[in-house]
Amino acid sequence: MLSLNLKNLWARKWRSAMTAIAVILGIALVAGTYVLTDTTTQAFDEIFVKSLEGTDVAITAKSEVDQEDGSTPSLPAKYLERVRRVSGVELAAGTVFTPGAILDSEGDSTGGGFSPQFISSTLPEELESLDYVEGTVPSGAHQASLDKAAAERSDLGLGDSISLVGTGEAQPFRLVGLTELGGASFGGTSIAQVTLPVAQQLAGKQGEFDQISVSASPAVSPEELRDRISEVLPKSVRVETGTENAERNADDIREGLSFLTIALLAFAGIALFVGSFVIFNVFSITVAQRTREFGMLRTLGASRRQILRTVLFESFVVGLLGSVAGIFVGLGLAQGLSTILKAVGAELPANSLVVLPRTIIVSLLIGVCITLISSLIPALRSTRVPPIAALSETIAVGGRNRVLLRSILSALLTVVGLALIAEVLINGSSGGSAALRMGAGAICVLVAISIFSPQLVRPAASAVGAPLERAGGLTGQLARENSQRNPSRTAVTAAALMIGLALVSFVTVFASGLSSSVDKVIEQNFKGEIVLQSSGGFLDFPSNAVTVASGVDGVQAASGQRFGMAAVDGENTSVSSIQPATAAEVVTFDWNQGSDQNLTLLEDDQAIISEGLADSQGVGPGDRIAVQSQRGAEREFEVTAVVAPGTLDLTGELIVTQETIESFFGFDADSSALVKTAPGADVDQVQDRIKDKLEKPFPTVDVLNQQELKDTQQDQINTLLYMIYVLLALAVVVSLVGIVVTLILSIHERTRELGMLRAVGMSRRQIRRMVRYEAVITAVLGAGAGLIIGVLFAFLLGIPLEEDGFALSYPIPTLIVILILTALAGVVAAIYPARKASRLDVLEAISYE
Amino acid sequence: MESTLEETTESGTPENQIVRAIGIERFYGEGEAEVRALDGVDVTFEKGIYTSIMGPSGSGKSTLMHILAGLDRPTAGTVEIDGVDITGLDDGDLTELRRDKLGFVFQFFNLLPVLTAEENILLPLSIAGKTPDREWVDLVIDRVGLDDRRTHRPSELSGGQQQRVAVARALVTKPAVLFADEPTGNLDSKSSEDVLQLLRAARDEFGQTVIVVTHEPDAAAHGDRLIALRDGHLVHDAPPVSADAVIELLKTLA
Repeated sequence: MLSLNLKNLWARKWRSAMTAIAVILGIALVAGTYVLTDTTTQAFDEIFVKSLEGTDVAITAKSEVDQEDGSTPSLPAKYLERVRRVSGVELAAGTVFTPGAILDSEGDSTGGGFSPQFISSTLPEELESLDYVEGTVPSGAHQASLDKAAAERSDLGLGDSISLVGTGEAQPFRLVGLTELGGASFGGTSIAQVTLPVAQQLAGKQGEFDQISVSASPAVSPEELRDRISEVLPKSVRVETGTENAERNADDIREGLSFLTIALLAFAGIALFVGSFVIFNVFSITVAQRTREFGMLRTLGASRRQILRTVLFESFVVGLLGSVAGIFVGLGLAQGLSTILKAVGAELPANSLVVLPRTIIVSLLIGVCITLISSLIPALRSTRVPPIAALSETIAVGGRNRVLLRSILSALLTVVGLALIAEVLINGSSGGSAALRMGAGAICVLVAISIFSPQLVRPAASAVGAPLERAGGLTGQLARENSQRNPSRTAVTAAALMIGLALVSFVTVFASGLSSSVDKVIEQNFKGEIVLQSSGGFLDFPSNAVTVASGVDGVQAASGQRFGMAAVDGENTSVSSIQPATAAEVVTFDWNQGSDQNLTLLEDDQAIISEGLADSQGVGPGDRIAVQSQRGAEREFEVTAVVAPGTLDLTGELIVTQETIESFFGFDADSSALVKTAPGADVDQVQDRIKDKLEKPFPTVDVLNQQELKDTQQDQINTLLYMIYVLLALAVVVSLVGIVVTLILSIHERTRELGMLRAVGMSRRQIRRMVRYEAVITAVLGAGAGLIIGVLFAFLLGIPLEEDGFALSYPIPTLIVILILTALAGVVAAIYPARKASRLDVLEAISYE
Repeated sequence: MESTLEETTESGTPENQIVRAIGIERFYGEGEAEVRALDGVDVTFEKGIYTSIMGPSGSGKSTLMHILAGLDRPTAGTVEIDGVDITGLDDGDLTELRRDKLGFVFQFFNLLPVLTAEENILLPLSIAGKTPDREWVDLVIDRVGLDDRRTHRPSELSGGQQQRVAVARALVTKPAVLFADEPTGNLDSKSSEDVLQLLRAARDEFGQTVIVVTHEPDAAAHGDRLIALRDGHLVHDAPPVSADAVIELLKTLA
């Protein structure tokens, strides 16, 4: 049997290869994701290990609440003296490591667009991990070093001038040294080093350190020293050995990357889910076409089990070969992805590609399992072929059409799916498991629709085919009839496309809702015409910039805002501060309980809270609310007013005074500032004047008017949207391959029919048109259903978000363009099958058995 | 035998000849494995004549019909249909030729399962984008006895009925020549008789030129003229006398 199986497979090698594409693309993304993240993780591991060489114990401040920008609180400098007095400490030094901007003499950034830049302080030689490959270690107030890769990128050499920006004004430095971290790649990240006092001053961390690095005297082990040091320091301080610190940092990176991994794997899952439809279809058709062969095998004494094994063996080989090919494509994909990231300025540190055994095992396992599962139903169907089928003239196609069973199953799945989705929506839960339940719910609904869709193919194809019949006459009619003659085949092919298109339209509608909601917030709540913010997401906003802007002619008020994360009742809660005197002038507050007066009256132990927080904590004006800072301290605040959502995006859930956010919460830098122009002042002129004033001292501050702010928000949303489109394109391509394979198989089945059509005078062009129309009908069926479902899902998900000021908008033109593009994709998918059909030799076709 | 052959292969006056095949050779394979399916066949067909082509398996009768109908190309020789040499035509011209001049009836009916009987009958006209001549269509449908089956799909028709649809489909374009390839090969005797009667009626009532390839004596006996082939050569060409005589002829060929 095995040699027969192999021969069969070889005879159907093209069909098998096309089927394998359904696995290859999905597996490529699985393997590519693992390779990319493993490679990045390993590179970071190396960075952390190397950067802690010589450090036996590392002391950092604990952060009780994770900050959105990943920053951690700093340590008071006084701890250094305490550490130095601990016996066994050979050397201890404080250091500062802070995000900043490194600019060349022209004022251009030395980094890529999305790559972080850091300013760090020099350490005594024993603790220093950077190697000075050229020049000397900075020693004066105006000396700095830069990592060699960044210097090369920006064409900088020793003696050149650069400027560094921390939380204050930009300051000029002379480049005196170039560094490397033991050959490790930083990716696009760059690091400048200055002396400790300079670093502290740039970072606004006078009297503070980010870390104290300690080396142990030879007689003491790092663990022993760690324990001794922790005894003299408070609980809020984390004392670790160098190895522990490196591992924790690496774990943080891994955790950060795990989001990327999960997101990419989710898209791989979608592609594989779609692929399983294609595999199911190909095997269903193949089994139907081999009915007589199976019947013949049964008459020769083959058992049902042997027939089952024949089909499953074929699917196993297809899955295995597809997965192996997928792994190789994945390697290319990982290489390609990092090249793309590098091109857009988000270069990841990388050495050579890392392929762990896990990557190969998981890829093979998923690929083979999905193929086997998808072909299981057709395989079982093949075992039901009776021996008599060998003799029958007409080939019985497919299984019985059990409408009732189908309807019940579909209804059941719909209910389960909707229940899963509703549960998440109603309880408003969030996080990974909620997303998982939501996804499972969506899959249930999609599968339910796919199961029921054969019932819908007839009327739907008639509707879609109507214009084609008008345009193409007989060819249109035949194309429509062909798409209807085997409804489940058309349904599965269209359903594969439906899934991709449902997701495409869902994200399209959702993103458009997001854009218009952001626009609405800006329009309704921004009284200030001009916004000051940092370019790039890694930098602190220099607080002095607000003061400078306030003094500009034509500015009525400039109000800075600070943001950070704190915790209420264990839940992460955003906290912001306002400048009480000016806040109401630049932002429209939508008061639930209270008025603008509450802003000016706000005291240090008081807070204004959002409606959401008021509801979840059951507090109102006059009540007290306990808040935990990132340092772990807890304090009670008196609630004085409640703001309605809408303003929420601008102010956070908890509003406190500037003094409080600095002293208690520990956030000493503004995030952005809003500017209100004086009555009668020309906004454009004021904007230009502010730009002029800020450009030199604060080169990293962007001065935007409302439209520009909307545009930057729009750009961010669109960038994300396009990335999702690219990833979904994979699933759409798989479903188009499904259309190609299904058409080829159907044409093969209809060979004699096509021969007759040619014999009675149908031209090649007419045959091609007929095939093309059939592809377009299938594509439009899938796309239409997908668009409807996607819009419906977006609508459902939008309902609970309405409270937060989210309003859906329907980008009808975009959706129509998507529909037309899909129809065109159907035309493209039909090119090869149509050619094949039109090239059939008439004589062979009519005598074909 | 040889002498009668010489006289009858050239039948009718040139203007009355609708199909002319001269020096047809058709070889398959090369060298040792070469098969001479047709080895120099000259034959012409007159308008309005019902010709049966017979011969044992491998005699070349189907190959001859395929070449006459432009479905296969001869290795050597020329075929003219209605005065046009078709051996040099490209696919587009051959398509036009099939549309306008030829009708086909196949052994396995070859109807489109998705179309009704009437739609199948009208198919050649629809493909060519011609408006059907209603009167003619109704006459044909009525003549093949399918008036009450117009809206049935092939799956709802018996084999005989399906083949009658196929005959009607071939007649509807009023082709210059109607080719039938083993039209009764897949039918019971009653249905076979019906179909043969219809083909005969096409010649008698509509003046249709009919060329039927068959290996059934009964079918051959329906024609005006009987051609027999053996090993790629034309070996008999005369009007059939009776089915029994045809059986005798076949015995001599085998």
